Amino acid sequence: MTRLYNDPTQFKEDLIDGFTRAYSRYVRRVPDAAGVMALNAPQQGKVTVLIGGGSGHYPAFAGYVGKGMADVAVIGDVFTSPSGEQVYRCTKSAYGGAGVLYSFGNYSGDVLNFGLAARRCQKEGIDVRTVLVTDDIASASPAEIEDRRGIAGDFYVFKIAGASASRGDSLDDVEVFTRLANDRTRSFGVAFSGCRLPGQKEDLFTVEPDRMELGLGVHGEPGIESAIMLPASEIAKLMVDKVLSDVPSDAGNKVAVLLNGLGSTKYEELFVLYKDVDAQLKANGLDLHEPFVGEFVSSLNMAGCSLTVLWLTDELQTLHDAPAMTPGFTRV
Amino acid sequence: MSTQATIAKKCIANMLSVIEGVEDELARLDAFAGDGDHGAGMVRGLRAANEAAQAAESEFASQVVSAAGEAFVNTAGGASGVLFGTLIATIGENLSEDPDTENVYHALKAGTNIVCELGKTSVGDKTMIDTLMPFVEALGEASQQGSILIDAWIQALPRAKSGMEATADMVSKRGRSSRLGDRSKGGMDPGAVSIYYLLQSVADTLKT
Repeated sequence: MTRLYNDPTQFKEDLIDGFTRAYSRYVRRVPDAAGVMALNAPQQGKVTVLIGGGSGHYPAFAGYVGKGMADVAVIGDVFTSPSGEQVYRCTKSAYGGAGVLYSFGNYSGDVLNFGLAARRCQKEGIDVRTVLVTDDIASASPAEIEDRRGIAGDFYVFKIAGASASRGDSLDDVEVFTRLANDRTRSFGVAFSGCRLPGQKEDLFTVEPDRMELGLGVHGEPGIESAIMLPASEIAKLMVDKVLSDVPSDAGNKVAVLLNGLGSTKYEELFVLYKDVDAQLKANGLDLHEPFVGEFVSSLNMAGCSLTVLWLTDELQTLHDAPAMTPGFTRV
Repeated sequence: MSTQATIAKKCIANMLSVIEGVEDELARLDAFAGDGDHGAGMVRGLRAANEAAQAAESEFASQVVSAAGEAFVNTAGGASGVLFGTLIATIGENLSEDPDTENVYHALKAGTNIVCELGKTSVGDKTMIDTLMPFVEALGEASQQGSILIDAWIQALPRAKSGMEATADMVSKRGRSSRLGDRSKGGMDPGAVSIYYLLQSVADTLKT
């Protein structure tokens, strides 16, 4: 459960205040808006990368603001899209005159609110492009791939977008690479407990002790099915099998791999799981490039994890390997 | 200040107090297949809407309701922020200087159409539209029969209630719950329930 809060309705404000105090060496608050921007934003002549969504997912989204990743993140209340007004204000504050790329998970609230802001900016002559993250294979079939929601794949898509914009690519190119990263990213998640919003008396959902939920998102929603709890090695096999059942077209064998914790699954447990994830992926002939294990897109205090695979191209690998310096992710 | 603007302000204030009273119930309904924040979002939106409505210096209901809707959109966040806020704002924009049953029907119809368009939704998708559409149709029928607004509104409420209750057996086709497929069946849609409370609260305000 969420134990630390003052007034639950002020949770977002309080966390932005604390976050910007702690990480004032990377970010500052967007004036008069629920968002944070990189210290060097706006950079004139550079494409602005704007990410965002509800809070409860740290390091997503605020933690990925800084050099080499996003210029600005719009922060909504817990699990709630920020309003179009807030997205608009954040866009204006971080705008460097070379177009804006919006990227966020595919959820109706985010699509509606970021869409309102994009239309308003376009009326003012600001070129805004949107790339939705749609990596969760459990949320819709391959035939309805654009309806899928975004989960831990957010991290890779934002990393690629930020790296492309940082090296001075045009808005067209930033959009192309970001879309390519999303098209080649697949995730699948499992959960062992629900989560509880600040000030609430009950968990959003519960999982029986000897069971697990398969194919869930990052908002405490129940999964698509419930299954008997398995040993770590078998969960690893299940997750790998699921993700590899949906390989993107033109996929090579070089992949970036992220084993993401949802909030209250320990890093040590994730490493235990990763032992077999690694072996299973290699047994399937894949060449693993710099895997990550840890919390990258969390879901408050939910217990569970997800496996994300990004099928790299040479260009995507260059962008993946580019330096970044943000509160949530650093690569030199 | 005119009676029209005063009634509109009372309607918005009453919506807020009704929704504050059922916030936990809405949260529980949303937790069934969603993320449990619908009650909090509605309260956040209506607080901003009420503040804007009470501050509106106009003699017309139209401006009071429009201001409330815009404040809702700008503050609530989430899909419901855009959809409920735009519904209220659009109703406001379409109210005449002296709203009668026919005018209110057309205003609600315009608001409902915008919600369908923005949310890419129609009746049967397990959304607020399942409550709203039958209510608006009933209001239109009552308008043709020449009923005065309060009578027409009360007469239309049972149709809204049946629409809301029918969402329990529907499979969600829109919003976060739509990713669950058949597992979204069994609970009423929280947006459909919210809108019913709002419609009911307007009836109570108009009665007084």
